[in-house]
Amino acid sequence: MKQHEHIRNLALLAVVGLALAFAPGVLSVYLRSFLLFTMMYVVLALSWNIISGFTGYTSFGHVAFYGIGAYACAILVADYGWHWLPTLGVGAVVAGTVAVVLGYPVLRLKGPYFAIAMLGAAEGTRVIATVWDSLTHGGLGISLPSADTSFETYYAMLTLMVLTVLVAYRVGHSRFGVRLNAIREDEVAAEALGVNATRYKLAAFVLSAIFPAVAGGIQAYKVLYIDPPSVFFVQITIAMALMSMLGGKGTVIGPIVGAVLLYTVQELTWVNFPTAHLIAYGLFIVVIARFMPRGLMGLAIDRGWVRKGMVH
Amino acid sequence: MDGCSFAVPAGKISGLIGPNGSGKTTTFNMLTGIIPPDDGQVIYRGEDLAGLKPYEVFARGITRTFQITRVFREMTVLENMLSVTGLSVPDEVARSRAEELIAFVNLGHLRAEYGGRLSYGQQKLLEFARALMTDPDLILLDEPAAGVNRTLLQHLLDQIHRLQERGKTIVIVEHDMNVIMNHCEWIFVMDYGVKIAEGPPAAIQGSERVLDAYFGRRRV
Amino acid sequence: MRRSESGSLSLLAAFLVCAYALPFVVGALTGNVRLAEFWLANLASVVLSGIMQGGVYAMFAVGLTLIFGVMRIINAAHGEMVMMGAYLTWVAFFYLGVDPLLALVFTLPLAFLFGMAVQKVLLNAAVGAPELTGLLITFGLGLTMIYAAELIFTTDFRTIPYAPGTVQLTRTITIGQNRVISFAMALVISVGVYLFLKWSRLGKAVRATALNAEVAMVCGINVRRIYLVTTGLAAALAVAGGALVSIQFGFNPETGVVYTLQAFAIVILGGRGHYVGALIGGLMLAVLENLVSLMVPNGTAMVELAAYGLMIFVLLIRPGGLMGVKEA
Repeated sequence: MKQHEHIRNLALLAVVGLALAFAPGVLSVYLRSFLLFTMMYVVLALSWNIISGFTGYTSFGHVAFYGIGAYACAILVADYGWHWLPTLGVGAVVAGTVAVVLGYPVLRLKGPYFAIAMLGAAEGTRVIATVWDSLTHGGLGISLPSADTSFETYYAMLTLMVLTVLVAYRVGHSRFGVRLNAIREDEVAAEALGVNATRYKLAAFVLSAIFPAVAGGIQAYKVLYIDPPSVFFVQITIAMALMSMLGGKGTVIGPIVGAVLLYTVQELTWVNFPTAHLIAYGLFIVVIARFMPRGLMGLAIDRGWVRKGMVH
Repeated sequence: MDGCSFAVPAGKISGLIGPNGSGKTTTFNMLTGIIPPDDGQVIYRGEDLAGLKPYEVFARGITRTFQITRVFREMTVLENMLSVTGLSVPDEVARSRAEELIAFVNLGHLRAEYGGRLSYGQQKLLEFARALMTDPDLILLDEPAAGVNRTLLQHLLDQIHRLQERGKTIVIVEHDMNVIMNHCEWIFVMDYGVKIAEGPPAAIQGSERVLDAYFGRRRV
Repeated sequence: MRRSESGSLSLLAAFLVCAYALPFVVGALTGNVRLAEFWLANLASVVLSGIMQGGVYAMFAVGLTLIFGVMRIINAAHGEMVMMGAYLTWVAFFYLGVDPLLALVFTLPLAFLFGMAVQKVLLNAAVGAPELTGLLITFGLGLTMIYAAELIFTTDFRTIPYAPGTVQLTRTITIGQNRVISFAMALVISVGVYLFLKWSRLGKAVRATALNAEVAMVCGINVRRIYLVTTGLAAALAVAGGALVSIQFGFNPETGVVYTLQAFAIVILGGRGHYVGALIGGLMLAVLENLVSLMVPNGTAMVELAAYGLMIFVLLIRPGGLMGVKEA
């Protein structure tokens, strides 16, 4: 990509970022919350995309990292009186460590088996959170001291989103990203070209774990109460996957577009059709997976509206 | 493979031939670390490479192409080139080298096309160019001529000779006897995992043992 | 290559021995284990009960392994099909007054048709596609089924009171009657299907397609039809499993998720695509779960962990499972 294209993209990000920064002043509480959730899903979808879209290791258990971050924040704030911001860092570190420990064995598995193992890992993490009640209060959940946290969490999430977009952008337009793609396309050939697949996969996995963890921490501070089912919610994993797929797995803009679009649609249908919307959601996944596996960006690339490849 | 020993002459173009299933690609796979050998050594520049991982072998200056092309299908030609590691150079330098090599194999006009959309011959050329990104010293080519038309093949062979002139060592696995006999200085022949002959083209052409292996008058 | 083949099998065997020993060790450390006659008899009941439960687990897993074996598709909605079976049986029992086992006469054909419909509409596109496609499509299907069930039945847990008595096997060992009946049914059904696959023309065609679909096609087998039959059969087996579950345990729309994971664990343990492997795996998982439930504190939650742990370790040690080839 030419220099001016990069600058153009960054300018775009800056504009959006500023608009979002000023938004709370003019918008209602509901819309503020809506924007916060949208930004969170952008973070989640982009992160998921790093390991699943770029590297091709589809993870059905990423919600585990989100949950870890949420619990890190909740435990440290409620039980140890920490200020909430540093807990985000702790959450990120714990999630990153878990990613390394878990990733090393699990990334050896091929495609769908990795997906299933991650699903098991996420469910396992949920069970551990329920059972280890000396740390996590088990099924009772943790309540944080009440306060009006909506402004702080909004700006925290905004910052996180901008950061995530920058990182994803950097990964997507670098040789690191190209090598992740190579691993996805043909791991054996990539290794024959000098790519230490294990190290690259692990790096991608850890990178993809950190941001959801921070997002989880911010969420915990926003909602002020968490318990295992609400935090290790399988819907979150599905949302991440679906948003990435809808927008276009393996691209940078894809997950962003997918997240915004899907979350907006979800909100609109939920508001208007409270029970049926969940079924529509399930059907939506089926339809996308069946008919449009390459997502909107895939369509755009095929039509020639967008250039192929990420590095030009 | 069963108790084989090869000494590849440095700085020359060698051929590795044999009937289907004789173990030629397996040999390449063992040399490049894709399959670890049960026994034996792979000595390169005084170091035993047996059991190393493919990317470690690559780091020592050995690259290869594949019998059935393994280009990265959902990535562009340029991205295929840039996926190669071992170049601790800034992006622009890597990119210009990639562009150079793409032009070298006459794929310049396809630099933004997906690898999977190239024709088979073009994929072979891409693999060839890709293998040259790091300016390796030992290049293993697995059936570079298969599926490639005459003109392209001649171009390829010219490039191979140019590489050899610059001091590279090249080993070619091939079924096309014209290519082997006219372009290799030394030939190894395998059958059933065993090396049954080696020597310059003239010696191999006249060898009864080799004819047996190919046309099966006697099966050992 | 042969060295690592038997090597990984022994490693797997060693792991399994440790896995079964673990509950005992934990139990001993936490004081749940006692060397008294009544406790040992209890242990025996629990193990036996586990074996019987295993019959039912095998029912869920066998369908999954068939779909994978024939079409290389991983059915993430399998647990939801089991759940569907449980609800169908429940409806038959509470609204039509039909005995749960008798209800199988209706529910099985219904399930078969459902399976065929799913295959025709959704899964035909996933055959031959990357394995992830089938996984995602069925994932979505499963979700849809969960939410549809929640809509119709709410998230309340349901049970079917059936054969509540116990069977006295020896002076000290007793087992729930419903469990014995379930096991007997599961035995009948799995043996029946086994014989079908082994001796009938259609069954042989299914096996041939599983081995090599292209060759099967060339031999005149209508592969598309076989796919329909396979998914139909798998759905029917899942629903049968659901029926048998419904008379023993409580269920709600979300319990299917756990069944799916258990089925995955069983299929992986037994060997993907191996019919008998699924049967063995089912027995093994159920016994392990029962041991954990008995001797490990927080047993009921830990039971889920046992299934995930088993699955992940088998994938890491020997992905082909007990009956498969190392890498399968």
